Amino acid sequence: MTSINYAQLLRLALPEVIVVATALLVMATDLLVLRRCKTRVRFAVAAGLASLGCAGAIVRIFYAPEVANILDGILIANPLIHLVQTALLLLTIFALLISVDSTFTEHVGEFILLILIATAGMMFLVGTQDLLVIFISLELLSLSLYILAAFNKRSAQSWEAALKYFLFGGMSAAFLLFGFSLLYGLSNSTSLPQIAAAIHGPSLNPLLVIAIVTTAIGLGFKVAAVPFHFWAPDVYQEAPAPSAAFIASGSKVASFFIFFQIMTLGFAGAAGTAAFTHLVRGWVPVLALMATASMLLGNLVAIAQTSLRRLLAYSAIAHAGYMLLAIVAHTQQSLTALIYYVVTYALATIGAFAVISVVEEQTGSDDLSNFNGICRQAPVLSFCLAIFILSLAGIPPLAGFFGKFFLFVTVLGATSGSMNLLWLIVLALAMSAVSLYYYLRILKRVYVAPLAADAKEIHPPIVTQLLLLLLAAAVVALGCDPQLFLRHITAAIQSSIL
Amino acid sequence: MTWIVQNLWLIPALPILAAGISSLLKQKSRISAASLAIGSMAVSFLLSLCAFAHVLTNHETDQVLTYNFGWFQFGNEWLKLGWMLDPLTAVMLVMVSFVGLLIFIYSTGYMEHDENFTRFFCFLALFAGAMLGVVIANSLLLLYMCWEIVGLTSYLLIGFWYHKPEAAAAAKKAFITTRIGDLGFLLGMVWLYTKSGTLLFYDNGAGCLEHSALTHLVAQTTVYGLSISAAISILVFCGAAGKSGQFPLHVWLPDAMEGPTPVSALIHAATMVAAGVFLVARIYPLMSAHAGTSLSPTIALQVVTWIGAITALFGATIAVGQYDIKRILAYSTVSQLGYMMMGLGVGGVAVGMFHLITHAFFKALLFLGAGSVIHGCHEEQDIRRMGGLRKFMPITFAAYTVGMLALCGFPFFFSGFWSKDAILHAAHNWSISQAPYYMGAIGALLTAFYMTRQMYYVYAGSSRLSDASDDSSHVAHRDPHESPAVMTAPLVILATCAVLLGFVGTPAWPWFQSFLEGNQANFTLAAFSEAGIIPVMLSSSLLVFIGLGLGWFFYGRTPITSASAPDNLGKLQPQIYSTLNRAYFVDAIYGATIIRLNTAWSILCDWMDRWVWNGAVQAVSYLVLAFAWLDHFIDTYIVNSSFDGGCEGVSRSGLLLGLLQAGRVQNYMRVIGCALVALTIFLLWGAK
Repeated sequence: MTSINYAQLLRLALPEVIVVATALLVMATDLLVLRRCKTRVRFAVAAGLASLGCAGAIVRIFYAPEVANILDGILIANPLIHLVQTALLLLTIFALLISVDSTFTEHVGEFILLILIATAGMMFLVGTQDLLVIFISLELLSLSLYILAAFNKRSAQSWEAALKYFLFGGMSAAFLLFGFSLLYGLSNSTSLPQIAAAIHGPSLNPLLVIAIVTTAIGLGFKVAAVPFHFWAPDVYQEAPAPSAAFIASGSKVASFFIFFQIMTLGFAGAAGTAAFTHLVRGWVPVLALMATASMLLGNLVAIAQTSLRRLLAYSAIAHAGYMLLAIVAHTQQSLTALIYYVVTYALATIGAFAVISVVEEQTGSDDLSNFNGICRQAPVLSFCLAIFILSLAGIPPLAGFFGKFFLFVTVLGATSGSMNLLWLIVLALAMSAVSLYYYLRILKRVYVAPLAADAKEIHPPIVTQLLLLLLAAAVVALGCDPQLFLRHITAAIQSSIL
Repeated sequence: MTWIVQNLWLIPALPILAAGISSLLKQKSRISAASLAIGSMAVSFLLSLCAFAHVLTNHETDQVLTYNFGWFQFGNEWLKLGWMLDPLTAVMLVMVSFVGLLIFIYSTGYMEHDENFTRFFCFLALFAGAMLGVVIANSLLLLYMCWEIVGLTSYLLIGFWYHKPEAAAAAKKAFITTRIGDLGFLLGMVWLYTKSGTLLFYDNGAGCLEHSALTHLVAQTTVYGLSISAAISILVFCGAAGKSGQFPLHVWLPDAMEGPTPVSALIHAATMVAAGVFLVARIYPLMSAHAGTSLSPTIALQVVTWIGAITALFGATIAVGQYDIKRILAYSTVSQLGYMMMGLGVGGVAVGMFHLITHAFFKALLFLGAGSVIHGCHEEQDIRRMGGLRKFMPITFAAYTVGMLALCGFPFFFSGFWSKDAILHAAHNWSISQAPYYMGAIGALLTAFYMTRQMYYVYAGSSRLSDASDDSSHVAHRDPHESPAVMTAPLVILATCAVLLGFVGTPAWPWFQSFLEGNQANFTLAAFSEAGIIPVMLSSSLLVFIGLGLGWFFYGRTPITSASAPDNLGKLQPQIYSTLNRAYFVDAIYGATIIRLNTAWSILCDWMDRWVWNGAVQAVSYLVLAFAWLDHFIDTYIVNSSFDGGCEGVSRSGLLLGLLQAGRVQNYMRVIGCALVALTIFLLWGAK
């Protein structure tokens, strides 16, 4: 083993270091200086500082785009990882901006600190190809998220949801670790490429089967795929809006990215196929099964929801199903499509949660009936919500449409010539049609239903409105000119892989 | 490539911009609209002077200065547009912007009391911009686009007082009549594009007016041995004839006088109607393209000449029989445009263009003078009711006299003489026939005659304005009055030009002609001794004097005393005179033939539409309705109910699946365990 160059290690990890340092700084500032101020002010200052820190990390990534691979993938830097990290940081900034006007807790410094620590976890998570680091950073992320979900201490449901999340997460983490240990046992290495080299063979070892299934369980929990989705509706509903937005966006992006990496790099030789007529053993049929279940369950159950947050949770499960298809296809194009999809999905979701946070603030709950006729009170807010929802539904010319289209096309094109995955696409298209129903039901309430007689005024804060407009503009722009973002992904992938 | 060539587009763009801005102004912001229009026009005029100076200083280089750019791409072809600067463009630019500027200034006085002042200036500026666009275009397509905008503004301005039914009808007539000509233009343009693959005039050897394209076009022939170049030229000439009021498409121009007088002066005398002449001059290389070395004029030029000669004579005779001051001038314009066309046909670009430029000045002068008279006489246009205005309007009278003498071609001192003489001289030497010369000569005599008649009617004798108050609707007439300085000042400037301009194109010092042809002009009196010049000059002078004398004989000897007295000439030959007064019944003939045919055809179409096509459509619609009922039945009772059932199933399954989320975390964990077992079994035994 080569000797470790700590200076280089530190330099490569500088963006993460910046984020963590900012976290500590925010905590210190909040506790030392702002103790006696109003909660809103504390949130504004802390979120502002944290956003600056994230922006600093982005600047660092931009200005020192090093390419390196330390110790067989313990810490990796390449354009693709930089791109994903930048996206993560941006999403974190958006989630932080939602919190600017919050009042749900007095522990402002801790809250922001946890978001930043989670962000650092995500950045390490995407920047590695080593099982140990993956597990540690995943735990760093997960543990932060558990606390974030529980942060509204005034609400018993919030604890309950967070506790379920924690128990469920702990369980799946145990499975994941069990799977990782089996992998280490099989290959005598923690580096993904070396594991792939070791497990390569004509038939599947039963131990490897267990490893595949447990890994899929652990990561399936992170991305909320059926049947490991149970935490999602509760957490989405009960967590404070900024936490929920953060869990639904940034952590999704990081989890899907590492899911793809582990499956394609770590289990490279054990893919199998998911063709309808002859399934071949491997991780692909497992994921195909999970994707199928997610698409079916997510879309169908979403129809029955009466709370917008729960609806978004099930829609997230459905979207996880679609995105799993990209991993099932496991080609370079499908990675491109996956990143595009998950980032645009995250943008729209953050936007939706921002709207929810405003409406909740005014009306006290996210029940769908509270959205009746709000277009008359808050036209800008409603218009932005319409854009996010339509993007999630995949209506052209919004980003969601192009993401879906590109994803399906790449999945179809993955197995050249034969239409092996056609059945999955047909199912996905049918379920997209179903999804239109519940998405449009939201818009029907917003635009068609009459305003309740006792409706309170809605005054969205300026920062939130600006954020909403920015996100809506981004969703429209990325939909109208997908190359805007796609170009960068393609270039990054081409210069990183191989 | 210098600054002015690259930025030549500014010249038309500025007035168009001014029009765009003033279209957004409120009706009340009169001053800003007028100052925008006049300011933009003044800047355009200055830029035109720069362009002119540039051409003047770089005269020796024979090359046409162009600036081309790709507009859009279809297939592998780029559609290119561009502008150009050559002597022809430069002269036209200066003329259009200068006359336009003067008329804009004049309009502020003339339109002072109109409530739609702002709209008027918006249209006027749009017109000026489009006209300047026509002038600088280096692409037949760009020229056509500007040409159509010019037509549109003409329509808008003729119908400016659309509350008058005659004005609305005249606007419609002008638009439709010119469209008929423009159809030919469009066909010619399309044909030219298919044959030569470009619509740029000059494009470093690849343009459609340059050598390679011309030889290609001349070499091919179409029906009756007509070369393609000639056929295209004649089609494009249709457009020019429509715009320039050539027989038989002249009918719209006299009616166009329903518009405000500055419009008549600017659009229907000085600039727009000259656009047709300009177009012929612009595509002159195409018109005159020869196969081989034969020296006889091409078919296209012969057509131009004959149409021009007929129009010249035709317009002049009708002008004799008119009573409306502006209609006389309108027919005179028709006649003079005929001269220009004839000049282009027989003598080339320089001859025709020289008359165009001089005519623009003196005809604008006459129209503005007429406008001043109308303004002073409280909107009276009938010359029988004027009279004696010399006393009341001395400046207008003086300026008008200059314009009149210039139009008659009074020898030596007035520009009209030199330019008309050049045309007659060229016609005299024409190799095909002498007839155009004689037609032109008779036209010149008539011109002197009808202008003298008009002068006597309007300015001599005593005022007959009060005769008009026979009909009780009129308010009591005040005396005629001189117009304000803002109206007379342009008259004086134009009058000066009408005199001086002639001297840049005399046979002794043909500067204008050589400028257009790119040569150096030398002053030589010996040119007068060239064959034919002196006789033609003398004979045309003689004709002018005869015309003036006849005018005096009929109208000057005995002063006209009563507005209702018949015309002195009309007393001699009432029938011929009424034919002239009704303009040879051309409108009536059109009404009886083309328009009636069109009406009959449209009635037939209407009938077919109502009964045959509509019946068929109705039958089909009933059939479709029947199908729709059937479909409705199937849809409601079979498809819908099953779909509703399906949807209900989907919703219910959603609720059912939702039950899984019962909230007990222990169960959640059990699901993970089950999933582990199930997936492992699936992988180990389920898949191959």
